[in-house]
Amino acid sequence: MSCKVLVVDDEAQLRDLFSDLLKKENFTVKCASSGEEALDIIGKEDFEVVLLDIRMSGISGLEALKKIKELKPNMIVILITGFGYDEDLITKSKEYGCAGYIGKNMPISRILSSFKLFIKTAKEKAK
Amino acid sequence: MKSSPQDIQKSVYRIIDNSNAIVLYLDTKGLISICNKKLEEITGKDKGQMTGNHWLDILYRDSNRMINQQMFKAVMDASINYKRPNVFEGSIKDSNHNEHFISWNITPIIDDSHELEGILLLGNDVTLLKERGASLKNIDETLKNIFSSIKEYALYAINLDGNITYYGMGSESLFGWQKNEIIFKQVSLLHSYDDAAYKFPFILEQVRSLGHYELETYLIKKNGLSFPVILSVSQFLDAKGKIIGYIFIAKDITERKKLEYQIFQAEKLAAIDQLAAGMAHEINNPLFVISGRLEMILGQKRLSEKLKEDLNIINTQTDRIRKLVDRFLKFNRKTTPKLETLNINEVIDTVLPLLAYHKLPVVKIDIEKYFTPDLGLIKGDLNQLQEVFLNLLINAYQAMSIDGKITIKTSNFMDKFAEIRISDTGCGIAKENLKNIFTPFFSTKEDGTGLGLSICYNIIKSHNGSIDIESEAGKGTTFIIRLPFIYSPSQKSFRAVDYTDFLVEL
Repeated sequence: MSCKVLVVDDEAQLRDLFSDLLKKENFTVKCASSGEEALDIIGKEDFEVVLLDIRMSGISGLEALKKIKELKPNMIVILITGFGYDEDLITKSKEYGCAGYIGKNMPISRILSSFKLFIKTAKEKAK
Repeated sequence: MKSSPQDIQKSVYRIIDNSNAIVLYLDTKGLISICNKKLEEITGKDKGQMTGNHWLDILYRDSNRMINQQMFKAVMDASINYKRPNVFEGSIKDSNHNEHFISWNITPIIDDSHELEGILLLGNDVTLLKERGASLKNIDETLKNIFSSIKEYALYAINLDGNITYYGMGSESLFGWQKNEIIFKQVSLLHSYDDAAYKFPFILEQVRSLGHYELETYLIKKNGLSFPVILSVSQFLDAKGKIIGYIFIAKDITERKKLEYQIFQAEKLAAIDQLAAGMAHEINNPLFVISGRLEMILGQKRLSEKLKEDLNIINTQTDRIRKLVDRFLKFNRKTTPKLETLNINEVIDTVLPLLAYHKLPVVKIDIEKYFTPDLGLIKGDLNQLQEVFLNLLINAYQAMSIDGKITIKTSNFMDKFAEIRISDTGCGIAKENLKNIFTPFFSTKEDGTGLGLSICYNIIKSHNGSIDIESEAGKGTTFIIRLPFIYSPSQKSFRAVDYTDFLVEL
């Protein structure tokens, strides 16, 4: 699988890790350090997928998700969180059109496979 | 001036007539020869009407006072026969049928030749006194009732030597000691010895200087159990204002303490909850970076065996932290079950062998299974459901001290739920603990974490099911779990479970 991904996280080392991991899996990766920056980049450049951290300084991941979907309704947005299962967050992100919800507490290999699965499912749904 | 006998007689009659006491002089046959105004007031008859009548006919006009009348007569007869003075108290009715309580003084009058000349009756109307006395008695009775209804207060007093001189108002019910067991004994029976020895000097000093002192402390029941009280101590002063002891009012605050403890527990829980979530989240980020980088390094081909080995150790240990944090989060937030189609009978069968791996009390337990065959299928997370049943079975084991029976029953509940009942014949759970049984950190076991049943509760809830408990102390406990069928035995069409259409990976 290869597509263009925007990684949004306010922690540089997490951004870099995702970037490295995804590049290794042949994704084309660009990073943004905040929701605001992400919206700015998305306005100028085309992406297929956005990987979005939920808790960030500035606008939250959830707000960013809402705005991205308003701007680009077809964008596949996947949320990533350090929180566990949170009914409210899941319901909201689903409502805003999020394609999937990944916990950081999983082993890396499973995070990657989930990420790919979510993209695949979203693409199939779009067809 | 010398008075003539006539003057004296007149004077005596006047005195008798104006006396506030009933004066009645009877001849030896009991016929009235002299009476006074006071008797006129009571009987409503004038002296002329009464003179020459038998005293009984004048004083007792209605026959329903027979006993009183007979007793009075007996006393009078005794006085007449033995020529001895007597007293009698009894009631008579006036002309308006009001009752008067009269205290009679009966004096036989003896003539010079030692013969009975007549009987002098002096009667004092003590109705008012009696009424007052009765109402005092009533107040006493009421106070006694009030005091004995007050359960959480005790009032007692000691003298300067520390002996209990008063032990009333709720003391018996609060301490369990009867008054006659404890009165004049040392107050240290009610207070702990330490309290009496070390705290009392300070407390009493405060009371002497301030007149009063209040503190929270513990008192001791007859059975040796201590209980929390608010103790209010005052000086016990005599009429001259001299201190003769101390008065204690103790209020039992056991219930309040329990409530405070529960609130404290709930607050603690909320704080732990918040801390766990915050911590887990904060740890997850750096941990994620570490394990991600590690995995990337391990993916490289040119690593020495030694380095690989070391990195694998780091990886294993990082994974340990990850799992630990995961458990925190799992406790903190319900995790979404990884759903598969399951037959609940089979799930339970997979759990029973797992019991062997747990340190269980050495008791002789029979496990009886009553499974309903062809039970509908449910959607559930095998591991989580195993955890639930394992937890409940271990609990059942621990509830039985010597031997007992565990019964596992599965059935179809209203064609909508698979119902699993796990019963034991163990010690049961006290009523007051039942409501807390699924609360995290609530445990009746000495070494319990209080997480087991709350995890069960969370797991069953996340399966859209229900878990209930029925228990009677001393008889046993039954857990009732209901999990929704995806298709019930009768209706074979598939029922979608609503959260499967959204992808959540945790």
